[in-house]
Amino acid sequence: MSSLGTVWQIAFREIKERGRSRAFLLTTIFTLLLVVGLVVVPGLIGGDTAEYKIGVIGEGNEEIVTSAELLGNASDEPDADPSVSLSTERFEDRRAAETALEAGDIDAVLVDAEEVVVESVGGFGESAVLSLLQQGAASVELKTIVSESGDAAADVIEVMTSDPLETSTLSGQEAGDESRGAVAYAGLLLLYMAVLIYGTWILSGVTEEKTNRVVEVLLSSIRPWQLLAGKIAGIGVLGIAQFAGTIAIAIVALQVTGTFELPTLNAAAVANLILWFILGFLLFAVMFGAAGSLVSRMEDAQNVAFPMTLTAVAGFFVSIAALSDPDGVTAVIGTFVPFTAPFVVPVRASLEAIPFWQYSASTVITAAAIVGLVFVAGRIYAGGLLRFGGRVKVREAWRSAGE
Amino acid sequence: MAQDVVALEELHGTGWYLRRYFHSSGPPHLSSAVVLQLTRLHKRYGDVVALAGCTFGVGRGRMLGFLGPNGAGKTTAMRAIFGLVTPDAGNVTWDGQPITSDLKRRFGYMPEQRGLYPKMKTQDQLAYLGRLRGMGAKESGASADRWLERFGLAERRTDPVEALSHGNQQRVQLAAALVHDPDLLVLDEPFSGLDPIAAETMSDILREQAAAGKAVVFSSHQLDLVEDLCEEVAIINDGVIVVEGNVRQLKDAAPIRHLELEVDGEVSDLLDTLEGVLQVRSDGDRRQTVIVSAESDVRRFLSQAQEVGRLRHFSYTTPSLSDLFREAVR
Repeated sequence: MSSLGTVWQIAFREIKERGRSRAFLLTTIFTLLLVVGLVVVPGLIGGDTAEYKIGVIGEGNEEIVTSAELLGNASDEPDADPSVSLSTERFEDRRAAETALEAGDIDAVLVDAEEVVVESVGGFGESAVLSLLQQGAASVELKTIVSESGDAAADVIEVMTSDPLETSTLSGQEAGDESRGAVAYAGLLLLYMAVLIYGTWILSGVTEEKTNRVVEVLLSSIRPWQLLAGKIAGIGVLGIAQFAGTIAIAIVALQVTGTFELPTLNAAAVANLILWFILGFLLFAVMFGAAGSLVSRMEDAQNVAFPMTLTAVAGFFVSIAALSDPDGVTAVIGTFVPFTAPFVVPVRASLEAIPFWQYSASTVITAAAIVGLVFVAGRIYAGGLLRFGGRVKVREAWRSAGE
Repeated sequence: MAQDVVALEELHGTGWYLRRYFHSSGPPHLSSAVVLQLTRLHKRYGDVVALAGCTFGVGRGRMLGFLGPNGAGKTTAMRAIFGLVTPDAGNVTWDGQPITSDLKRRFGYMPEQRGLYPKMKTQDQLAYLGRLRGMGAKESGASADRWLERFGLAERRTDPVEALSHGNQQRVQLAAALVHDPDLLVLDEPFSGLDPIAAETMSDILREQAAAGKAVVFSSHQLDLVEDLCEEVAIINDGVIVVEGNVRQLKDAAPIRHLELEVDGEVSDLLDTLEGVLQVRSDGDRRQTVIVSAESDVRRFLSQAQEVGRLRHFSYTTPSLSDLFREAVR
């Protein structure tokens, strides 16, 4: 049987055994339910209209409240539930209003269109209603300045909530491409999760074979690299299938409920995300596999996973920095470090903020790093697998596999 | 007589008589048929020397008992056959060829620490191992079923291995080494933890495998069992083979014999007249266990002993494998 045939046998066993294990089925079902829940439940609750009741004393308050409500709902979808709903309750004197405010019956008190009373500042609810009322009052004042007669309130609000300046970018993005940031962020988050979740699977899968000693039987017939490659391929296929299934369900649920409008992606953007997802996954999978070979017990697996987890976290933060400043020094350096590149490059590419030469160079560097790591990690893996007991030092594993 | 005991003590730890006999010329009947050959293997782990020039071989259709005290290097030597250990020096050959990964698929290995996937179904597991060693899907499935049938585990074929008893897991482990019908069988302590019935089955299978032309190597501390099963043994101590050869010949070549006798009468004076007495031990009242030189004239002693009193028990034997072992590794 060919070497690749052996790798396939190992991968196939991994998919078959792991795929029907209770742990896998339960986590898959749980994840799907969670995703569907997150997407569907907010839709069922019927939007999230924030309702506030404003106490009013004296004259001229109603106009402010109306303007505030219009402002608060200005960026809503046409047929969606309004974001805010304000109602008023008239009080005869300040004292009664303050008592009601203290009792929580109302959220704020407007006095003669000149003063606003809230219970305290700093809480989320109070700030929201306070800033709405302030903006409402400002627009009322603007209206008076702009036009002494007629109903100019709606015009004022329209101007205040519009973007009067036409936006153009150096990178050639068109207005409306803001969703690219969201896509990049989503891709980044998915890679980060995949690396940690499935990396841990690989790690524990490798350690497990040492714990139950089956590795000695396997290696009497096959080579260490075949075992590692088969394991990564099997868990990779299973993990990516689980992941893709979850994403597909999420997208379907989003479409059905209309909770969130999906940005349209072009083929190049999708290809970019998939390419870097695979590169990132492989890079970390190889390292997790080598780490797993260093320990014989699950309890120790956590410790050896730490350097990889830390690397992934670092990559994640560097790419968050790249998200806000895609041309910055951090982003550029992160592009050329193979461990951060899988997180940084897709973000920069999504934002169209990476020169072609950097993109190509980074792809080559990362691919080369994976090949190099396969040799290094493969040797550590081979050396670590048959040293049972405590944690094997990387150097010992490296040496004992020396040929 | 005290002098003689000292003389035996001097022999201890040298194994000199065995080595003198076999290592001068080497056992001629073996060299021609040897198919698996380990040559001058050296391996050290830091300061620990595991193998220090270990050399032995086994032929097709032969069964070699691989003996040695704990930590002598048995497992390291066995692992070296499969490349699980990379020796610092020396080599392992099969039919004169270095061991390649294709060749390894024709070998079967049962490690000392049993290892199977606990949650995988028994039959699936065996079939999987068959496939890893190059069998087709149908072929490996059928072979897995045959072995489960043979071990009386046919009804347990879909049970996960962890659900089987310890003894049955041992059987599955053996089946895992046999499923692909290997040309070489290497078993590290296959008898440990087996009850007498299970040990009998294991012995039968090993005999069968050797009879079918396979080369079989196994390690064990149960020397009686090895003596029963193997024509040939190799004894390793401190990483080097100190004795290797045919059990019968090794015993015949030993310079000592065990003499046991029980006489109604006083024999100690008589024993003083026997030449070459190395050690006398009294078990209970009358029975004497005597280690004598192989050259002693026991026939004359026996007739004299009969004159002293009624002879209740008499035995004159070559030393057991255990004796040879103790002598070789002391």
